[in-house]
Amino acid sequence: MTTTAPVVGFDQVSKAYGEVRAVDGLTLTLRPGETVALLGPNGAGKSTTLDLLLGLKQPDSGSVRLFGTTPREAIIAGRVGAMLQSGGLMDEVTVAELVKLACALHPKPYPVSDVLARAGVAQIADRKVNKLSGGQAQRVRFALATAGDSDLIVLDEPTTGMDVTTRQAFWATMREQADQGRTVLFATHYLEEADAIADRVLVLHRGRLLADGTAAEIKAKAGARRIAFDLEGTIEEGPLRGLPFLTSVDISGQTVRIQSTDADATVHALYGLGVYPRNLEVAGLGLEQAFVAITEAEEARTS
Amino acid sequence: MNSLIKLELVRALRNRKFLFFSVLYPSVLFLIIAGSSGTTDTVDGTGLTVATYMMVSMASFGALTAVLMGNSERIAKEREGGWVRQLRLTTLPGRGYVLAKTASAAVVSLPSIVVVFVVAATVKDVRLDAWQWLALTGAIWAGSLVFAALGVAIGYLATGDAVRPITMITYFGLSMLGGLWMPTTTFPQWLQDIAKWLPTHAYAALGQAIEQSRAPHAQDIAVLAVSFALFAGGAAWLYRKDTLKA
Repeated sequence: MTTTAPVVGFDQVSKAYGEVRAVDGLTLTLRPGETVALLGPNGAGKSTTLDLLLGLKQPDSGSVRLFGTTPREAIIAGRVGAMLQSGGLMDEVTVAELVKLACALHPKPYPVSDVLARAGVAQIADRKVNKLSGGQAQRVRFALATAGDSDLIVLDEPTTGMDVTTRQAFWATMREQADQGRTVLFATHYLEEADAIADRVLVLHRGRLLADGTAAEIKAKAGARRIAFDLEGTIEEGPLRGLPFLTSVDISGQTVRIQSTDADATVHALYGLGVYPRNLEVAGLGLEQAFVAITEAEEARTS
Repeated sequence: MNSLIKLELVRALRNRKFLFFSVLYPSVLFLIIAGSSGTTDTVDGTGLTVATYMMVSMASFGALTAVLMGNSERIAKEREGGWVRQLRLTTLPGRGYVLAKTASAAVVSLPSIVVVFVVAATVKDVRLDAWQWLALTGAIWAGSLVFAALGVAIGYLATGDAVRPITMITYFGLSMLGGLWMPTTTFPQWLQDIAKWLPTHAYAALGQAIEQSRAPHAQDIAVLAVSFALFAGGAAWLYRKDTLKA
Protein backbone atom coordinates (compact mmCIF):
# COMPACT_ATOMS: atom_id res chain seq x y z
CA MET A 1 0.00 0.00 0.00
CA THR A 2 2.82 2.33 0.85
CA THR A 3 4.26 1.93 -2.62
CA THR A 4 1.12 3.26 -4.25
CA ALA A 5 0.30 5.92 -1.68
CA PRO A 6 1.51 9.42 -2.55
CA VAL A 7 4.57 10.69 -0.72
CA VAL A 8 2.58 13.56 0.72
CA GLY A 9 -1.17 13.93 0.70
CA PHE A 10 -2.91 17.01 2.08
CA ASP A 11 -6.67 16.84 1.96
CA GLN A 12 -8.57 20.04 2.74
CA VAL A 13 -6.14 20.91 5.51
CA SER A 14 -6.82 24.03 7.57
CA LYS A 15 -5.01 25.52 10.51
CA ALA A 16 -5.85 28.79 12.21
CA TYR A 17 -4.20 30.78 14.97
CA GLY A 18 -7.04 32.72 16.50
CA GLU A 19 -8.47 34.76 13.63
CA VAL A 20 -5.58 34.16 11.28
CA ARG A 21 -5.99 31.30 8.86
CA ALA A 22 -2.41 30.20 8.38
CA VAL A 23 -3.38 27.31 6.14
CA ASP A 24 -6.74 27.41 4.46
CA GLY A 25 -8.20 24.33 2.83
CA LEU A 26 -4.94 23.12 1.36
CA THR A 27 -5.10 20.08 -0.89
CA LEU A 28 -1.99 18.77 -2.57
CA THR A 29 -0.23 15.59 -3.53
CA LEU A 30 3.49 14.99 -3.92
CA ARG A 31 4.66 12.03 -5.95
CA PRO A 32 7.90 10.06 -5.62
CA GLY A 33 10.99 11.61 -7.14
CA GLU A 34 9.68 15.15 -7.42
CA THR A 35 11.74 18.14 -6.40
CA VAL A 36 9.21 20.63 -5.19
CA ALA A 37 9.67 24.24 -4.17
CA LEU A 38 7.24 25.79 -1.75
CA LEU A 39 7.20 29.45 -2.54
CA GLY A 40 5.45 32.30 -0.84
CA PRO A 41 5.94 35.65 0.81
CA ASN A 42 6.47 35.83 4.57
CA GLY A 43 3.32 34.86 6.38
CA ALA A 44 2.05 32.85 3.42
CA GLY A 45 1.84 29.76 5.60
CA LYS A 46 4.96 27.95 4.39
CA SER A 47 6.29 27.08 7.83
CA THR A 48 2.87 26.07 9.12
CA THR A 49 2.42 23.86 6.07
CA LEU A 50 5.73 22.13 6.76
CA ASP A 51 4.90 21.81 10.47
CA LEU A 52 1.60 20.14 9.57
CA LEU A 53 3.36 17.93 7.06
CA LEU A 54 5.86 16.76 9.67
CA GLY A 55 3.25 16.29 12.36
CA LEU A 56 4.67 19.04 14.56
CA LYS A 57 1.27 20.69 14.42
CA GLN A 58 -2.13 19.11 14.13
CA PRO A 59 -4.58 20.47 11.55
CA ASP A 60 -7.88 21.95 12.75
CA SER A 61 -9.55 20.06 9.94
CA GLY A 62 -8.58 17.90 7.00
CA SER A 63 -5.99 15.18 6.89
CA VAL A 64 -2.25 14.97 6.35
CA ARG A 65 -0.78 11.66 5.20
CA LEU A 66 2.79 10.71 4.41
CA PHE A 67 3.24 7.49 2.45
CA GLY A 68 -0.32 6.63 3.40
CA THR A 69 0.33 6.85 7.13
CA THR A 70 0.47 9.59 9.74
CA PRO A 71 3.52 11.87 9.69
CA ARG A 72 4.70 10.40 12.99
CA GLU A 73 4.52 6.82 11.69
CA ALA A 74 6.39 7.83 8.56
CA ILE A 75 9.13 9.42 10.65
CA ILE A 76 9.40 6.35 12.88
CA ALA A 77 9.69 4.20 9.75
CA GLY A 78 12.66 6.36 8.75
CA ARG A 79 11.04 7.61 5.57
CA VAL A 80 11.38 11.33 6.33
CA GLY A 81 14.42 13.49 6.89
CA ALA A 82 13.77 17.09 7.73
CA MET A 83 15.57 20.30 8.44
CA LEU A 84 13.66 23.05 10.13
CA GLN A 85 14.33 26.73 9.79
CA SER A 86 13.86 26.95 13.53
CA GLY A 87 15.63 23.67 14.14
CA GLY A 88 17.96 24.32 17.04
CA LEU A 89 21.01 22.22 17.67
CA MET A 90 22.37 20.71 20.83
CA ASP A 91 24.97 23.00 22.36
CA GLU A 92 28.41 22.05 23.56
CA VAL A 93 28.75 18.88 21.54
CA THR A 94 30.79 18.52 18.37
CA VAL A 95 29.38 18.37 14.86
CA ALA A 96 30.49 14.73 14.58
CA GLU A 97 28.82 13.79 17.86
CA LEU A 98 25.56 15.38 16.81
CA VAL A 99 25.60 13.69 13.40
CA LYS A 100 26.41 10.40 15.11
CA LEU A 101 23.32 10.87 17.24
CA ALA A 102 21.19 11.55 14.16
CA CYS A 103 22.55 8.40 12.52
CA ALA A 104 21.89 6.37 15.66
CA LEU A 105 18.30 7.58 15.73
CA HIS A 106 17.65 6.73 12.07
CA PRO A 107 16.31 3.25 11.26
CA LYS A 108 18.26 3.16 7.97
CA PRO A 109 21.37 5.16 8.80
CA TYR A 110 24.32 5.99 6.57
CA PRO A 111 27.87 5.80 7.95
CA VAL A 112 28.63 8.96 9.95
CA SER A 113 31.67 9.81 7.83
CA ASP A 114 29.58 9.67 4.64
CA VAL A 115 26.95 11.97 6.10
CA LEU A 116 29.58 14.45 7.24
CA ALA A 117 31.30 14.43 3.86
CA ARG A 118 28.13 14.74 1.85
CA ALA A 119 26.89 17.69 3.85
CA GLY A 120 30.31 19.33 3.54
CA VAL A 121 30.94 19.44 7.28
CA ALA A 122 33.75 16.87 7.49
CA GLN A 123 36.33 19.63 7.95
CA ILE A 124 34.44 21.09 10.89
CA ALA A 125 33.50 17.72 12.42
CA ASP A 126 35.41 18.38 15.64
CA ARG A 127 34.10 21.86 16.13
CA LYS A 128 31.54 22.61 18.84
CA VAL A 129 28.09 23.14 17.43
CA ASN A 130 27.60 26.45 19.21
CA LYS A 131 30.75 27.87 17.58
CA LEU A 132 29.50 27.59 14.00
CA SER A 133 28.62 30.33 11.55
CA GLY A 134 25.05 30.55 10.28
CA GLY A 135 25.89 28.84 7.02
CA GLN A 136 27.83 26.07 8.75
CA ALA A 137 24.97 25.47 11.15
CA GLN A 138 22.65 25.13 8.16
CA ARG A 139 24.93 22.48 6.72
CA VAL A 140 24.89 20.60 10.00
CA ARG A 141 21.09 20.74 9.98
CA PHE A 142 21.22 19.35 6.46
CA ALA A 143 23.49 16.57 7.69
CA LEU A 144 20.90 15.72 10.37
CA ALA A 145 18.16 15.64 7.74
CA THR A 146 20.18 13.29 5.53
CA ALA A 147 21.58 10.97 8.19
CA GLY A 148 19.74 8.00 6.75
CA ASP A 149 18.12 6.62 3.66
CA SER A 150 14.87 8.59 3.82
CA ASP A 151 12.42 8.74 0.94
CA LEU A 152 11.35 12.32 1.56
CA ILE A 153 13.62 15.21 2.45
CA VAL A 154 11.95 18.35 3.78
CA LEU A 155 13.96 21.55 4.01
CA ASP A 156 12.66 24.82 5.36
CA GLU A 157 14.58 27.73 3.82
CA PRO A 158 17.78 25.69 3.83
CA THR A 159 20.17 28.26 2.39
CA THR A 160 19.40 31.07 4.84
CA GLY A 161 22.67 32.49 6.10
CA MET A 162 24.80 30.94 3.35
CA ASP A 163 26.90 33.00 0.97
CA VAL A 164 26.57 32.55 -2.77
CA THR A 165 29.32 29.95 -3.17
CA THR A 166 28.20 27.75 -0.30
CA ARG A 167 24.65 28.10 -1.50
CA GLN A 168 25.56 26.75 -4.92
CA ALA A 169 27.53 23.88 -3.40
CA PHE A 170 24.57 23.18 -1.14
CA TRP A 171 22.13 22.95 -4.01
CA ALA A 172 24.46 20.62 -5.84
CA THR A 173 24.36 18.35 -2.77
CA MET A 174 20.62 18.59 -2.68
CA ARG A 175 20.28 17.77 -6.34
CA GLU A 176 22.25 14.59 -5.65
CA GLN A 177 19.60 13.65 -3.12
CA ALA A 178 16.91 14.20 -5.74
CA ASP A 179 18.83 12.26 -8.36
CA GLN A 180 18.83 9.23 -6.07
CA GLY A 181 15.07 9.15 -6.54
CA ARG A 182 14.11 10.92 -3.35
CA THR A 183 11.31 13.38 -3.10
CA VAL A 184 12.65 16.73 -2.03
CA LEU A 185 10.39 19.48 -0.74
CA PHE A 186 11.89 22.80 0.15
CA ALA A 187 10.51 26.14 1.18
CA THR A 188 12.44 29.12 -0.04
CA HIS A 189 12.24 32.80 -0.59
CA TYR A 190 15.10 32.67 -3.08
CA LEU A 191 12.98 32.49 -6.16
CA GLU A 192 15.85 31.80 -8.49
CA GLU A 193 16.49 28.65 -6.50
CA ALA A 194 12.99 27.44 -7.10
CA ASP A 195 13.41 28.32 -10.76
CA ALA A 196 16.73 26.54 -11.13
CA ILE A 197 16.20 23.46 -9.00
CA ALA A 198 12.58 22.53 -8.59
CA ASP A 199 10.70 20.60 -11.18
CA ARG A 200 7.50 21.65 -9.52
CA VAL A 201 6.69 24.93 -7.84
CA LEU A 202 3.88 25.48 -5.35
CA VAL A 203 2.97 29.11 -4.77
CA LEU A 204 1.39 29.63 -1.40
CA HIS A 205 -0.38 32.83 -0.47
CA ARG A 206 -2.44 33.43 2.65
CA GLY A 207 -2.50 29.74 3.36
CA ARG A 208 -3.90 28.80 -0.01
CA LEU A 209 -2.34 27.26 -3.07
CA LEU A 210 -2.22 29.95 -5.74
CA ALA A 211 -0.32 28.06 -8.36
CA ASP A 212 1.03 24.56 -8.82
CA GLY A 213 3.15 23.67 -11.82
CA THR A 214 6.58 23.78 -13.36
CA ALA A 215 8.52 27.01 -13.05
CA ALA A 216 7.77 27.61 -16.74
CA GLU A 217 4.06 27.14 -16.16
CA ILE A 218 4.08 29.52 -13.22
CA LYS A 219 5.73 32.12 -15.37
CA ALA A 220 3.22 31.50 -18.10
CA LYS A 221 0.39 31.93 -15.66
CA ALA A 222 1.64 35.38 -14.82
CA GLY A 223 2.06 36.42 -18.44
CA ALA A 224 5.35 34.92 -19.04
CA ARG A 225 7.07 37.03 -21.67
CA ARG A 226 7.63 40.70 -22.05
CA ILE A 227 7.54 42.24 -25.50
CA ALA A 228 8.80 45.77 -25.94
CA PHE A 229 9.09 47.86 -29.11
CA ASP A 230 8.92 51.42 -30.39
CA LEU A 231 6.36 52.71 -32.89
CA GLU A 232 6.59 55.91 -34.91
CA GLY A 233 3.78 58.42 -35.28
CA THR A 234 0.50 58.24 -33.46
CA ILE A 235 0.00 54.98 -31.68
CA GLU A 236 -3.45 53.48 -32.00
CA GLU A 237 -4.18 51.68 -28.77
CA GLY A 238 -7.26 49.79 -29.87
CA PRO A 239 -5.65 47.36 -32.30
CA LEU A 240 -2.73 46.79 -29.92
CA ARG A 241 -5.08 45.81 -27.12
CA GLY A 242 -6.77 43.45 -29.53
CA LEU A 243 -3.60 41.36 -29.93
CA PRO A 244 -3.94 37.73 -28.86
CA PHE A 245 -2.56 36.25 -25.59
CA LEU A 246 -2.00 39.63 -23.94
CA THR A 247 -2.01 39.98 -20.19
CA SER A 248 -1.05 43.65 -20.00
CA VAL A 249 -0.31 46.65 -22.23
CA ASP A 250 1.66 49.71 -21.25
CA ILE A 251 2.26 52.59 -23.66
CA SER A 252 4.55 55.42 -22.70
CA GLY A 253 5.64 57.87 -25.37
CA GLN A 254 6.59 55.89 -28.45
CA THR A 255 7.42 52.78 -26.44
CA VAL A 256 4.99 49.90 -26.06
CA ARG A 257 5.49 47.22 -23.43
CA ILE A 258 3.23 44.23 -23.38
CA GLN A 259 3.17 40.93 -21.61
CA SER A 260 2.02 37.84 -23.38
CA THR A 261 1.46 34.22 -22.53
CA ASP A 262 2.35 33.28 -26.12
CA ALA A 263 4.94 35.72 -27.41
CA ASP A 264 5.29 34.03 -30.81
CA ALA A 265 1.60 34.39 -31.61
CA THR A 266 1.48 37.93 -30.28
CA VAL A 267 4.43 39.13 -32.36
CA HIS A 268 3.04 37.42 -35.41
CA ALA A 269 -0.26 39.21 -34.95
CA LEU A 270 1.59 42.47 -34.29
CA TYR A 271 3.11 42.39 -37.77
CA GLY A 272 -0.31 41.53 -39.07
CA LEU A 273 -1.52 44.96 -37.87
CA GLY A 274 0.64 46.51 -40.59
CA VAL A 275 2.82 48.45 -38.16
CA TYR A 276 6.61 48.53 -38.20
CA PRO A 277 7.85 47.85 -34.68
CA ARG A 278 11.42 48.97 -34.08
CA ASN A 279 13.90 47.81 -31.44
CA LEU A 280 11.73 44.74 -30.81
CA GLU A 281 12.68 42.83 -27.69
CA VAL A 282 11.17 39.66 -26.38
CA ALA A 283 12.32 38.57 -22.96
CA GLY A 284 11.29 35.97 -20.44
CA LEU A 285 9.76 37.03 -17.18
CA GLY A 286 11.80 35.82 -14.23
CA LEU A 287 10.02 33.60 -11.78
CA GLU A 288 10.31 36.40 -9.28
CA GLN A 289 8.28 38.76 -11.43
CA ALA A 290 5.85 35.98 -12.20
CA PHE A 291 5.48 35.33 -8.52
CA VAL A 292 4.87 38.98 -7.76
CA ALA A 293 2.36 39.16 -10.59
CA ILE A 294 0.45 36.13 -9.32
CA THR A 295 0.29 37.26 -5.72
CA GLU A 296 -0.61 40.83 -6.71
CA ALA A 297 -3.40 39.56 -8.89
CA GLU A 298 -4.66 37.53 -5.95
CA GLU A 299 -4.44 40.50 -3.60
CA ALA A 300 -6.40 42.60 -6.08
CA ARG A 301 -9.03 39.92 -6.46
CA THR A 302 -9.61 39.46 -2.74
CA SER A 303 -9.41 43.05 -1.52
CA MET B 1 17.46 6.77 23.16
CA ASN B 2 20.67 5.39 24.65
CA SER B 3 22.63 7.40 22.12
CA LEU B 4 20.98 10.59 23.35
CA ILE B 5 21.62 9.69 27.00
CA LYS B 6 25.24 9.03 26.13
CA LEU B 7 25.61 12.36 24.38
CA GLU B 8 23.87 14.22 27.20
CA LEU B 9 26.34 12.60 29.58
CA VAL B 10 29.37 13.48 27.49
CA ARG B 11 28.17 17.03 27.49
CA ALA B 12 27.51 17.14 31.22
CA LEU B 13 30.92 15.68 32.03
CA ARG B 14 32.54 18.22 29.73
CA ASN B 15 30.94 21.13 31.54
CA ARG B 16 33.49 21.90 34.26
CA LYS B 17 31.44 24.58 35.97
CA PHE B 18 28.48 22.25 36.27
CA LEU B 19 30.66 19.41 37.53
CA PHE B 20 32.26 21.66 40.10
CA PHE B 21 28.97 22.85 41.50
CA SER B 22 27.26 19.49 41.53
CA VAL B 23 30.16 17.17 42.40
CA LEU B 24 32.83 19.12 44.30
CA TYR B 25 30.98 22.07 45.78
CA PRO B 26 28.81 19.99 48.18
CA SER B 27 31.95 18.36 49.61
CA VAL B 28 33.63 21.73 50.01
CA LEU B 29 30.56 23.05 51.75
CA PHE B 30 30.48 19.95 53.93
CA LEU B 31 34.05 20.55 55.08
CA ILE B 32 33.30 24.20 55.83
CA ILE B 33 30.18 23.45 57.86
CA ALA B 34 31.27 20.25 59.59
CA GLY B 35 34.95 21.13 59.65
CA SER B 36 35.01 22.98 62.94
CA SER B 37 32.73 20.59 64.78
CA GLY B 38 34.24 18.12 67.22
CA THR B 39 33.70 14.38 66.91
CA THR B 40 31.28 14.37 69.81
CA ASP B 41 29.19 17.44 68.90
CA THR B 42 25.69 16.28 68.05
CA VAL B 43 22.73 17.85 66.35
CA ASP B 44 19.92 18.44 68.83
CA GLY B 45 17.31 15.73 69.00
CA THR B 46 18.95 13.43 66.48
CA GLY B 47 21.74 11.72 68.37
CA LEU B 48 23.87 12.12 65.25
CA THR B 49 27.19 13.93 65.17
CA VAL B 50 27.28 17.16 63.16
CA ALA B 51 29.51 15.49 60.56
CA THR B 52 27.21 12.49 60.16
CA TYR B 53 24.15 14.70 59.98
CA MET B 54 25.63 17.17 57.52
CA MET B 55 27.00 14.39 55.34
CA VAL B 56 23.48 13.38 54.40
CA SER B 57 22.41 17.00 54.02
CA MET B 58 25.26 17.76 51.65
CA ALA B 59 24.92 14.56 49.67
CA SER B 60 21.26 15.43 49.22
CA PHE B 61 22.23 18.95 48.31
CA GLY B 62 24.71 17.71 45.72
CA ALA B 63 22.16 15.39 44.17
CA LEU B 64 19.63 18.23 44.15
CA THR B 65 22.11 20.49 42.37
CA ALA B 66 22.90 17.86 39.75
CA VAL B 67 19.31 17.10 38.83
CA LEU B 68 17.77 20.55 39.21
CA MET B 69 20.35 23.02 37.96
CA GLY B 70 21.44 21.11 34.89
CA ASN B 71 18.08 20.35 33.42
CA SER B 72 15.70 23.22 33.93
CA GLU B 73 17.75 25.82 32.13
CA ARG B 74 18.85 23.46 29.37
CA ILE B 75 15.34 22.28 28.66
CA ALA B 76 14.01 25.83 28.50
CA LYS B 77 16.85 26.86 26.19
CA GLU B 78 16.57 23.87 23.91
CA ARG B 79 12.83 24.27 23.74
CA GLU B 80 13.23 27.86 22.64
CA GLY B 81 16.13 27.13 20.30
CA GLY B 82 14.14 24.47 18.50
CA TRP B 83 16.30 21.47 19.36
CA VAL B 84 13.30 19.80 20.96
CA ARG B 85 11.38 20.29 17.69
CA GLN B 86 14.25 18.86 15.70
CA LEU B 87 14.29 15.79 17.94
CA ARG B 88 10.60 15.31 17.28
CA LEU B 89 11.55 14.68 13.65
CA THR B 90 13.54 11.63 14.68
CA THR B 91 12.47 8.17 15.82
CA LEU B 92 13.09 9.22 19.41
CA PRO B 93 9.85 8.64 21.34
CA GLY B 94 8.12 11.78 22.58
CA ARG B 95 9.19 11.34 26.19
CA GLY B 96 12.67 10.22 25.21
CA TYR B 97 14.09 13.69 25.49
CA VAL B 98 12.91 14.20 29.06
CA LEU B 99 13.93 10.69 30.03
CA ALA B 100 17.39 11.17 28.58
CA LYS B 101 17.78 14.42 30.49
CA THR B 102 16.67 12.76 33.71
CA ALA B 103 18.87 9.73 33.18
CA SER B 104 21.98 11.77 32.48
CA ALA B 105 21.30 13.94 35.53
CA ALA B 106 20.97 10.79 37.61
CA VAL B 107 24.36 9.61 36.42
CA VAL B 108 25.96 12.91 37.45
CA SER B 109 24.16 12.95 40.79
CA LEU B 110 25.64 9.61 41.82
CA PRO B 111 29.25 10.85 42.05
CA SER B 112 28.12 13.98 43.85
CA ILE B 113 26.63 11.72 46.54
CA VAL B 114 29.58 9.35 46.69
CA VAL B 115 32.19 12.11 46.83
CA VAL B 116 30.54 13.64 49.90
CA PHE B 117 30.48 10.20 51.56
CA VAL B 118 34.15 9.59 50.80
CA VAL B 119 35.17 13.01 52.10
CA ALA B 120 33.07 12.56 55.25
CA ALA B 121 34.49 9.11 55.94
CA THR B 122 38.12 10.01 55.33
CA VAL B 123 38.32 13.55 56.65
CA LYS B 124 35.69 13.57 59.38
CA ASP B 125 35.83 9.87 60.29
CA VAL B 126 32.15 9.23 59.76
CA ARG B 127 31.55 5.55 60.41
CA LEU B 128 28.44 3.63 59.43
CA ASP B 129 27.57 0.00 58.75
CA ALA B 130 27.96 -1.26 55.22
CA TRP B 131 24.17 -1.60 54.78
CA GLN B 132 23.78 2.01 55.87
CA TRP B 133 26.21 3.31 53.24
CA LEU B 134 24.43 1.31 50.57
CA ALA B 135 20.96 2.30 51.76
CA LEU B 136 22.00 5.95 51.98
CA THR B 137 23.36 5.96 48.46
CA GLY B 138 20.25 4.25 47.15
CA ALA B 139 17.78 6.44 49.04
CA ILE B 140 19.44 9.74 48.16
CA TRP B 141 19.92 8.69 44.60
CA ALA B 142 16.33 7.51 44.17
CA GLY B 143 15.00 10.53 46.06
CA SER B 144 16.73 12.88 43.63
CA LEU B 145 14.18 11.79 41.01
CA VAL B 146 11.64 13.97 42.80
CA PHE B 147 13.75 17.02 42.04
CA ALA B 148 14.64 15.84 38.56
CA ALA B 149 10.92 15.96 37.84
CA LEU B 150 10.81 19.47 39.32
CA GLY B 151 13.69 20.54 37.07
CA VAL B 152 11.85 19.26 34.01
CA ALA B 153 8.68 21.04 35.09
CA ILE B 154 10.52 24.34 35.47
CA GLY B 155 12.18 23.83 32.10
CA TYR B 156 8.78 23.50 30.47
CA LEU B 157 7.17 26.21 32.56
CA ALA B 158 9.49 29.13 32.00
CA THR B 159 11.36 30.52 29.04
CA GLY B 160 14.26 32.83 28.37
CA ASP B 161 15.38 35.12 31.11
CA ALA B 162 12.84 33.86 33.61
CA VAL B 163 14.26 30.34 33.88
CA ARG B 164 17.42 31.16 35.79
CA PRO B 165 15.85 33.23 38.57
CA ILE B 166 13.02 30.75 38.98
CA THR B 167 15.50 27.89 39.18
CA MET B 168 17.72 29.80 41.60
CA ILE B 169 14.91 30.79 43.92
CA THR B 170 13.55 27.25 43.93
CA TYR B 171 16.99 25.78 44.43
CA PHE B 172 18.17 28.05 47.23
CA GLY B 173 14.75 28.18 48.84
CA LEU B 174 14.44 24.41 48.93
CA SER B 175 18.05 23.91 50.06
CA MET B 176 18.02 26.46 52.82
CA LEU B 177 14.48 26.09 54.16
CA GLY B 178 14.64 22.33 53.84
CA GLY B 179 17.61 22.33 56.19
CA LEU B 180 20.24 21.06 53.79
CA TRP B 181 22.67 23.80 54.79
CA MET B 182 21.98 23.83 58.50
CA PRO B 183 19.76 21.67 60.69
CA THR B 184 16.20 23.00 60.81
CA THR B 185 16.38 22.65 64.59
CA THR B 186 18.34 25.92 64.54
CA PHE B 187 15.36 27.65 62.89
CA PRO B 188 12.71 29.58 64.85
CA GLN B 189 9.67 27.43 65.55
CA TRP B 190 7.42 28.99 62.90
CA LEU B 191 10.03 28.33 60.24
CA GLN B 192 10.49 24.78 61.45
CA ASP B 193 6.76 24.27 60.99
CA ILE B 194 7.07 25.32 57.37
CA ALA B 195 10.32 23.47 56.75
CA LYS B 196 8.99 20.08 57.73
CA TRP B 197 6.59 20.15 54.79
CA LEU B 198 9.29 20.80 52.20
CA PRO B 199 10.36 17.89 50.02
CA THR B 200 14.03 18.68 50.60
CA HIS B 201 13.51 18.33 54.36
CA ALA B 202 11.80 15.00 53.88
CA TYR B 203 14.57 14.02 51.47
CA ALA B 204 17.36 14.62 54.00
CA ALA B 205 15.26 13.13 56.81
CA LEU B 206 15.11 9.89 54.84
CA GLY B 207 18.90 9.67 54.91
CA GLN B 208 19.11 10.65 58.55
CA ALA B 209 16.62 7.92 59.45
CA ILE B 210 18.96 5.42 57.84
CA GLU B 211 21.86 6.80 59.86
CA GLN B 212 19.77 6.43 63.01
CA SER B 213 18.93 2.85 61.99
CA ARG B 214 15.21 3.47 62.23
CA ALA B 215 12.32 3.47 59.83
CA PRO B 216 11.65 6.81 58.14
CA HIS B 217 8.71 8.91 59.30
CA ALA B 218 5.54 8.26 57.39
CA GLN B 219 5.14 12.00 56.95
CA ASP B 220 8.47 12.31 55.13
CA ILE B 221 7.62 9.45 52.79
CA ALA B 222 4.24 11.03 52.13
CA VAL B 223 5.74 14.47 51.44
CA LEU B 224 8.19 12.97 48.97
CA ALA B 225 5.54 10.86 47.25
CA VAL B 226 3.12 13.77 46.93
CA SER B 227 5.89 16.08 45.71
CA PHE B 228 6.94 13.56 43.11
CA ALA B 229 3.38 13.14 41.91
CA LEU B 230 2.93 16.92 41.72
CA PHE B 231 6.20 17.64 39.95
CA ALA B 232 6.01 14.72 37.54
CA GLY B 233 2.34 15.41 36.83
CA GLY B 234 3.09 19.10 36.30
CA ALA B 235 6.01 18.30 34.03
CA ALA B 236 3.89 15.90 31.99
CA TRP B 237 1.09 18.44 31.67
CA LEU B 238 3.43 21.26 30.67
CA TYR B 239 5.23 18.96 28.28
CA ARG B 240 2.00 18.04 26.54
CA LYS B 241 0.95 21.67 26.34
CA ASP B 242 4.31 22.60 24.82
CA THR B 243 4.10 19.79 22.27
CA LEU B 244 0.69 20.94 21.06
CA LYS B 245 1.87 24.53 20.79
CA ALA B 246 5.14 23.84 19.00
